[in-house]
Amino acid sequence: MANPHPPAPLSRRAGRGGNEEPIDRGPIIAMRDISKRFGPALANDHISLDLWPGEVHAVLGENGAGKTTLMNVLAGMYQPDAGTIRIAGEEVQIASPADALRRGIGTVYQHFTLVPNLSIVENVVLGDEGGFLPDLSAADAKLTAMLADFGLDVSPRTEIRNLALGQRQRVEIIKVLLRGSRVLVLDEPTSVLTPGEVTALLDLLRHLRDQGVAVVLITHKLGEALAVSDRVTILRNGRNVGEFGPDVMTGAAKESVRDRIVEQMFGATQPTETRHHGAQQSIDVSPGVAIKHPGHSEPAGEESRHSRTDAAFSRDSSFLGMTTSLRRSPSRAESGTTLLSLRGISTLGDRGAPALQDLSLDLHRGEVFGIAGVDGNGQKELGEVIAGQRAVSSGQIFLDGAEITNRGLGTATRLGIGYVTDDRLHEGSVAASSVTDNVALKAIGRQPFSNGFWLNRRAMDEEARRLIVEFGVKTPGPETAIGMLSGGNIQKLLLARELALAPKLLVCNKPTTGLDLRTARFVVQTLREQADAGKVVVLISSELDELMEISDRIGVMYNGQLVAVMPRGETDLETLGNLMLGGARRAFKVPA
Amino acid sequence: MNGSGVPLAAFVTAMLAAGLVAAVPLVLAALGEAVGEKSGLLNLGIEGMMLAGAFFGFLAAFQTGSAVLGVLGGIAAGAVLGLVFAALTVSLRVDQVLVGLAITIFGGGLTAFLYRDIFGGQNPSLNVDAPRIAIPLLSRIPVAGPAMFNQGVLFYLAFALVPAFAFVLARTRFGLQVRAVGEYPFAADAAGVDVTRTRYLAALIAGSMAGLAGAFLAVADLKIFQVGMTVGMGFIALALTMVGGWNPYRILLASVLFGLLRSLGNGLQILGIDVRTEFITMLPYIGIMIALAILAGRTSIPAALGIPYARGRR
Ligand SMILES: Nc1ncnc2c1ncn2[C@@H]1O[C@H](COP(=O)(O)OP(=O)(O)OP(=O)(O)O)[C@@H](O)[C@H]1O
Ligand SMILES: [Mg+2]
Repeated sequence: MANPHPPAPLSRRAGRGGNEEPIDRGPIIAMRDISKRFGPALANDHISLDLWPGEVHAVLGENGAGKTTLMNVLAGMYQPDAGTIRIAGEEVQIASPADALRRGIGTVYQHFTLVPNLSIVENVVLGDEGGFLPDLSAADAKLTAMLADFGLDVSPRTEIRNLALGQRQRVEIIKVLLRGSRVLVLDEPTSVLTPGEVTALLDLLRHLRDQGVAVVLITHKLGEALAVSDRVTILRNGRNVGEFGPDVMTGAAKESVRDRIVEQMFGATQPTETRHHGAQQSIDVSPGVAIKHPGHSEPAGEESRHSRTDAAFSRDSSFLGMTTSLRRSPSRAESGTTLLSLRGISTLGDRGAPALQDLSLDLHRGEVFGIAGVDGNGQKELGEVIAGQRAVSSGQIFLDGAEITNRGLGTATRLGIGYVTDDRLHEGSVAASSVTDNVALKAIGRQPFSNGFWLNRRAMDEEARRLIVEFGVKTPGPETAIGMLSGGNIQKLLLARELALAPKLLVCNKPTTGLDLRTARFVVQTLREQADAGKVVVLISSELDELMEISDRIGVMYNGQLVAVMPRGETDLETLGNLMLGGARRAFKVPA
Repeated sequence: MNGSGVPLAAFVTAMLAAGLVAAVPLVLAALGEAVGEKSGLLNLGIEGMMLAGAFFGFLAAFQTGSAVLGVLGGIAAGAVLGLVFAALTVSLRVDQVLVGLAITIFGGGLTAFLYRDIFGGQNPSLNVDAPRIAIPLLSRIPVAGPAMFNQGVLFYLAFALVPAFAFVLARTRFGLQVRAVGEYPFAADAAGVDVTRTRYLAALIAGSMAGLAGAFLAVADLKIFQVGMTVGMGFIALALTMVGGWNPYRILLASVLFGLLRSLGNGLQILGIDVRTEFITMLPYIGIMIALAILAGRTSIPAALGIPYARGRR
């Protein structure tokens, strides 16, 4: 199968101020007719994919399309059932991840691959092939500079478990970069990064491309893909259904590319089903968040590339206008009666440090209350406190006027408070148990799943099937272990499970992380509908545009406090971004 | 022996020495077990491996007349069982608890059968040299000197291995890989570590050390073999590994305490102090349980302990 797109002309590359030497004519990686089956699921169905040196190649597709599987084949994690892989023209068997690394293929996996009780430097030298004693001090030296470049103000001897999620993600990237790979695969690297970190990461990818590295970027955020990639491949149901080469991606025809990509991904779908990235653009300019990348001196021609980014982002933003139908007038929510009140809440985080300080908040029926904030400023803890998942050290919580402070999770669930965690694999699901069992888990002791002693397997199974259909979950069947589903599909089930309990109040922590455009859309819409039906929805999100879209009020968390609560109509992305970074409060109302 | 006739200093020296010697097989076995568990392998087969080490060590020493060959024979027997354990649990992913218990039962049965078959009812003792080495000066420290510094080679080796194991686990590439593989094998695999190889090596070390511990008993210490002579020491070593939080120094401390409590019990009996023997024999075990209760939860157990790793399974 010949590649329809010849490598980009050298002149284009030279114009970037990067690698001036002639580059091999052929692709560095040529995957041909790769198939991989998991039981009944054909995750990869004769997929062919070429990666070119000096290109950023975006691999897009809905949840369960087979992106991670394909990259795991390239990384040596999976052995393909059929198909061949050539590296620089030579056919190879990639026997193991170690083998892939040796051949210069580095991967940042979708799921975390850092050992939590080892230090950063130990994780970095872990897979090195070297003598009996690893030279930690030498690695320290290299790492310290790198960590600083990535805006990580931590010692290389810090244990991973003491890092926040976003910090860990950056360590993952550093770890792979230090290997000096010529092929770099990043599977949804941006999902836990702040907008500023995302911008910096995209810059870094451009820099690597200019060094001649072949970069693969898997993402559900079209704005990111359009901003950096020279080539886009779209997977659907395990097949390669389309590819856009540099001629399209960098050419004048770019404007229409987005719609064509969305169409390829989902079939004939409305462009309104698209997520927006206006937030990225406005936060770009905030000082102090941008991470630098190592040894990157701005080459000439940088300007034009950046303007390309901005064009892509603003095109994203323009979709904001197409979703007004989701917005309601905030006045209705304000007239809603108070369901839950927090009064002077303080609590400790997992590491024993204060996470919330003297926080008060009223939640009203019929509203979506959005919570914004840079990771680690107490959003997660606030969500957990509201959901009754975390005990408070002082303060009171009232539900409909009755005090429910520290009554525990069981009470909260019984009183109609639901919670969707952001830690779907560990906290949210029992990976080795079936979809059915996971769906029934939260209500397992009650009708109709149980009469108090015997389980009603039939009722559980019916419920699972109903939710699978209703939420469009991709799974071989309800008996499949939930851990085998793709990330997005697990997320759908967790939400479905909570909604099935018909809660009065639902707390969702980053419910759209890792979801494809259409599913994310679906989740956001579902949450809005819940509020419109008189429920309270608390939405913690790092997607500001998502918050702006469906929240009636948005609260910003900084340092364990709600530094501002604003009706949606009275704020904008820039204000939110500033507040998140601890910027001066504007003249907005602060909660009572 | 009449207690009143023994000078106190000599008595204390003897008790110290007995306690330290009793700790040696425990330290050896527990050090190996710590490496195994750090790599994610819970080896309940130590007891069987120790017995195999004791028997084959005894047999080799008996046949060759060489203590050195005897000890090597014991190590080899433990190593073989360690590899069997790895093959079943790492490669075939059979449940570690089942395999471990099977090895313990198998080790007990096999050595009993072979001992009776080969030695036919006789209970020979070894006639090999296992000389004591008195360390100049140190061995002349009053009371403690003769107990600590006038001992056999394996005695010194056991204590020397403690810092060696601590160093290997904390500082070397192998130790790093062991810790990673026992905590989060997927991450280790993704980083390019050979999870299977690392766990095989760890099992090999655990088996060899258990074999060495058995050989110490039969070849160096008692110079005889008895059916079931380890009397649960393998399981004690297992408990000491946990009490010691997988840290070689703390394992040493726990083992020595255990050994001393045991010899203290014996000493009290020798002195003729009127305590029920049942209570005295219970003493060290009660000590272990108290230590386990106090230390439980202090150090975190390797997250992947007991869980087989299969690449590509989530
Ligand atoms: N290890 C596995 N065992 C069983 N099934 C698997 C395994 N890995 C993937 N699958 C199945 O293969 C299909 C493709 O999954 P994959 O993870 O490649 O999707 P994806 O495109 O990366 O999706 P997402 O965007 O949600 O991450 C899914 O249907 C999934 O259930
Ligand atoms: Mg994926």
